[in-house]
Amino acid sequence: MNQPIIEIKNISKKYRIIHQQDRYLTLRDTLNNIIKRPFAFLRGNIKEEFWALKNINFTIERGETIGIIGPNGAGKSTLLKILSRVTFPTSGEIKMRGRAASLLEVGTGFHQELTGRENIFLSGAILGMKKREVEFKFNDIVKFAEVEKFIDTPVKRYSSGMFVRLAFSVAAHMEPDILIIDEVLAVGDENFQKKCLNKMDEATKKYNRTILFVSHNMKTVQDLCKRCILMENGKIEKHGETKEVINYYLNHLNNK
Amino acid sequence: MENPIIIKPKNSLNIIKDLKEIWRYKELLYFFTWRDLKVRYKQTAIGVLWVIFQPFTTMVVFSVFFGGLAKMPSDGVPYPIFVYVGLLFWQFFSDSLSNVSQSLVGNKAIITKVYFPRLILPISTIITKFIDFAIATIILIGLMAYYHYLPNLIGILILPLLLLITFLAAISIGLILASLNVKYRDVGYVLPFFIQILLFVTPVIYPTSIAGKYSKFLALNPMTGIIDAARAAILGTTSINWTSLIISSVVCLIILVIGIIYFKKTEQYFTDLV
Repeated sequence: MNQPIIEIKNISKKYRIIHQQDRYLTLRDTLNNIIKRPFAFLRGNIKEEFWALKNINFTIERGETIGIIGPNGAGKSTLLKILSRVTFPTSGEIKMRGRAASLLEVGTGFHQELTGRENIFLSGAILGMKKREVEFKFNDIVKFAEVEKFIDTPVKRYSSGMFVRLAFSVAAHMEPDILIIDEVLAVGDENFQKKCLNKMDEATKKYNRTILFVSHNMKTVQDLCKRCILMENGKIEKHGETKEVINYYLNHLNNK
Repeated sequence: MENPIIIKPKNSLNIIKDLKEIWRYKELLYFFTWRDLKVRYKQTAIGVLWVIFQPFTTMVVFSVFFGGLAKMPSDGVPYPIFVYVGLLFWQFFSDSLSNVSQSLVGNKAIITKVYFPRLILPISTIITKFIDFAIATIILIGLMAYYHYLPNLIGILILPLLLLITFLAAISIGLILASLNVKYRDVGYVLPFFIQILLFVTPVIYPTSIAGKYSKFLALNPMTGIIDAARAAILGTTSINWTSLIISSVVCLIILVIGIIYFKKTEQYFTDLV
């Protein structure tokens, strides 16, 4: 089967920026606005449109690790959110041939009041693992996170390092076809980071897994990915071999 | 090989596909319910007893004031039993409704980071409330033993049906409120008040017969038919009024369809707004 695992066609995402007081709309505000400007909807110009992504096209083959780099606000996270099916694109289409799991944040689904053990199961389920799978890997997860002693302590009593390690450890033991990661590798101490990277590398090489990740750490990107995408202002600025793209990006930054 | 997952701007409405997907995610449904039950009484001294405390106290207060002092009629059943049956169903409904309406906003952290069928959240919320209902039933059994009141065994068979209709009533209205709540947080302020008022237009404290010729209007409220039927079924006071039960079910189903369509429609911007 030589079909690409992910095909991204013409993806765009529009947000509306409301140039007004607060983020929370209340019914009163809406009614007020209608009374104050009953014909505002005809003009329809109060909200500014903002394209977080504009015509993104690329494909990813099975077993590839792709890095996405770019300055803040380039649309990297929005793209990952769409790929994770957390938000919808405004136009375009994506085809994914495989089970995807996303890791947009460390500790998704963790609950402060629950113990480490309970959280492993809960977070595992939220990330898309089966209960059996978690049971099977439970010891590995605990060992990887190095929290054996505190596994029955509520995580609210964990140090932030312990928390992050446990949370990442759960995620690292997922076995999806596609893994979508957003800047979460920047956690834990150096040692732990290395461990995580090895685990990811192993996943792609051994099991032919596909990884798509956003990072600001050029070294990590260079170590893990052959191919890399540079995004800027919602568009793909450059796309190609990692070294080349990173060099281009760094020069580009210096020239600004 | 599975079919490829297609990500497109519009969410197509396909109930069968959605149900299948929820079935695939049934473990997550279990874990959300488990989490809610587990977390709720952490660091409390009497834990699960709180589930019983609330309906029990309400029953005692209502019995003293409405049953004792105000001499509220109760179709010939000891008032505490009469009011408790009403309260059990009422609380299942009202707690489900208020929790479902918060289920999206309250799980914002998860919704914005991971995909799963969003309908799982309201469903698991109601299951949690159903477990409360089951626990609180123990008091009813105690009350019936205390008053030497034998339940109507055949009638009890229709209880699952009544629970199902209550479930539908709560989830259908709840879905609409939960979606609205994503955009308008006003829901959180209006709902407690609304529920309080609704208690008085539902025959919890009083029997439907008290309304005389106006009792037809009460039937428009789905909980009226349910509570009446529950009393008829458990206590054998009157015969079950199937017409009002059918009206209740139909009303619930209509609201449910609207609720699901609205929920699905707003699902597209949940994460951008919540």
